[in-house]
Amino acid sequence: MEVTLLVQAADDAFRILEKARGQAVELLNTATKLTSDTRWMEEKKIQAVLMGAQKKKSGLQNFAVTFLLLFAFWALLSGKFDTFHLSLGVICSFVVALIGHDLLFANVRVGDMRVIVQRFFAYLPWHIYQIVIANFHVAYLALSPKMPISPKIMRFKTKLESDISWVTLANSITLTPGTITIDIEEGEFVVHALSEKLADDLNTGEMEDRIAHVFMEADHIYIQDVLDVARIFAEFR
Amino acid sequence: MNTFLTAIALALCLLVFLVLYRVVFGPGVFNRIAAISAIGTKTLVILIIFGFFYNRVEMFIDISMVYALLNFIGCVAAAKYLENEG
Amino acid sequence: MIIRGEDIIIRTIARVLVPFIQLYALYVIMHGHYSPGGGFQGGVILGASMVLLFITHGYAEVNRKFSENIAVLFSSIGVLIYSGIGFLCLILLGNFLDYSVLYKLLNVDPAHARSLGILGVELGVGFAVMAVMFSIFFDISTGGVLPEDEEERD
Repeated sequence: MEVTLLVQAADDAFRILEKARGQAVELLNTATKLTSDTRWMEEKKIQAVLMGAQKKKSGLQNFAVTFLLLFAFWALLSGKFDTFHLSLGVICSFVVALIGHDLLFANVRVGDMRVIVQRFFAYLPWHIYQIVIANFHVAYLALSPKMPISPKIMRFKTKLESDISWVTLANSITLTPGTITIDIEEGEFVVHALSEKLADDLNTGEMEDRIAHVFMEADHIYIQDVLDVARIFAEFR
Repeated sequence: MNTFLTAIALALCLLVFLVLYRVVFGPGVFNRIAAISAIGTKTLVILIIFGFFYNRVEMFIDISMVYALLNFIGCVAAAKYLENEG
Repeated sequence: MIIRGEDIIIRTIARVLVPFIQLYALYVIMHGHYSPGGGFQGGVILGASMVLLFITHGYAEVNRKFSENIAVLFSSIGVLIYSGIGFLCLILLGNFLDYSVLYKLLNVDPAHARSLGILGVELGVGFAVMAVMFSIFFDISTGGVLPEDEEERD
């Protein structure tokens, strides 16, 4: 009697252990799938930034805006506003816009151009102020007799989404004295900073936030990103 | 005004000579390319100051813009070449 | 062989700058009378813009806009414009490249006709120089082997 009870208890124990093992394996599978999902999402984002410049929203609007920009540039360069030179300007802008109309505005994810230009001109005074402050700091570092520099290379990923904002961030970092963008590999910025204070100023991410505000990337969520994240959230339910 | 501009032009020439050290003695070719690019940026400011001396700034601005463009394109081309076959 | 890498900074800056460089080159050609410039200088800048597009974006991107065949065509068109204007002056009973006799065709006074004639030959020179600059760079950098032939060989 006791033996059968014991055998039954062992059976039940084995069954519980089997179920536990099955659940543990399922959990591990979900975990690997989730990590590969996030990695896939990240790679897709980097690919979208690099390839976004190739997929063109080419059409009449691109061509017209390129033509107007080029004609304004021509009028700025040539100070003569008589009919002959202006008609030459129209022909030349037309030909150049015909050849290269998909070059200037190639990124489809960048938003409304007028707001971006306005916000860019509001961003410039803050940037110049940062340059002046960093200038004083680097001059103090270079002119003091024991030169307290501690150069380091830092890597960080950004939350910016289009290639123009990456390039603007890299240019802003390089223009600020003391920090230089060395490379952007696989969506990761490699920056060389001259001292701890400059590296800390960069790590706060204020420049990144302001550039995201300039290019209207902090304003709205893209539908595709929501769909990507929804797949991962569905796993938890 | 002319004395002020002359002083600035002379100071820039002095800076050009300082960078010339890296062009001559730079160990390796990357130092030399970066130094020539730096000399190019100072050269175009000196060209515009010459424009002020001769009272024909618009002519010299055209020349400076061309030199800036060619400096940029030359630096990019040299860097691309050395990246692949250096 | 120029390989297309992942350098996104140079690619973005080059694609934004190239239309402005080309417009500046055309400005230099057209204003040869009033400021330093003219045909040869503008042609060099045009060729340099195509070279910039080639080294940053690779062969495929520049092939859509300005391939090797079009370069050959443009160099011939440039020489055709130059000697065409010269022969036009001969046909109108002037000397070779004597632009003042063009005033009969264009309904302007002879001084104006000279100015327009010079503009025409500068345009021809500019086209020819652009095509030859791009051709030379392309031939030297690829060694005469097009990328598709190289891929087929591998």
